[in-house]
Amino acid sequence: MPRYELALILKAMQRPETAAAVRRTVETLMERGAVVRNLENMGERLLPYKITKHNERHSRGTYFLVDFYCAPSILDGLLNHLHRDVDVVRPTVLKKEEQEPKSSGCGPSQ
Amino acid sequence: MLCVRGLQRLKAIFYLPRNTSHRSLTSAEVLPKDDALLKVENLSRESKKGCMLCNVTVDFKNIQLLSQFVSPHTGRIYGRHITGLCGKKQKEISKAIKKAHSLGFMPVTHKYPEFMKDPRICSIKHLD
Repeated sequence: MPRYELALILKAMQRPETAAAVRRTVETLMERGAVVRNLENMGERLLPYKITKHNERHSRGTYFLVDFYCAPSILDGLLNHLHRDVDVVRPTVLKKEEQEPKSSGCGPSQ
Repeated sequence: MLCVRGLQRLKAIFYLPRNTSHRSLTSAEVLPKDDALLKVENLSRESKKGCMLCNVTVDFKNIQLLSQFVSPHTGRIYGRHITGLCGKKQKEISKAIKKAHSLGFMPVTHKYPEFMKDPRICSIKHLD
């Protein structure tokens, strides 16, 4: 299965509410048959620019990174679900490239 | 008109071999040619250095690194002549910065204030 990364920005909320939102998201992922590999919390920060979502102007947000494996067919439905979630400010699914430690020398190869 | 200039250039080319034949008479002037060959070898060794990001993986999450290649006043990405990066890395940085913009990780029109004090990698002079 291909490997994806979900860069999730949640609304700035209290700790139990943030935890509940993350739990909800991960459970949605697992229901659709995804295998969650890693979950990273990048902390609550000031957003780089004000984002308007669900009729609300956000200036602060909590950043999460979810690493998971899933079938490509579920991504459309997943993104649709995340956009509808009121607590989620910006969900983005990216493909994770398999980085092999090959010769990364960008000088002239000889 | 053009024919005349062409003929003049041809004359210049034909005159050169005559000058070198004069030089070959003295042995002292043969030595500089060997030095010139040695200098050519050194040049190829210098170009193997590579750019400053040769062994560094570029990631959209690493906004501190990306912010070093962006103007502090406008947030614009610096060109290759300013950053001094090689083609591959410049493209990677540019793509990562644009990705970070759209994902909501990095500001577009300015730079995060905490990164303003970072060491200046790019060869640009700011009027501070």
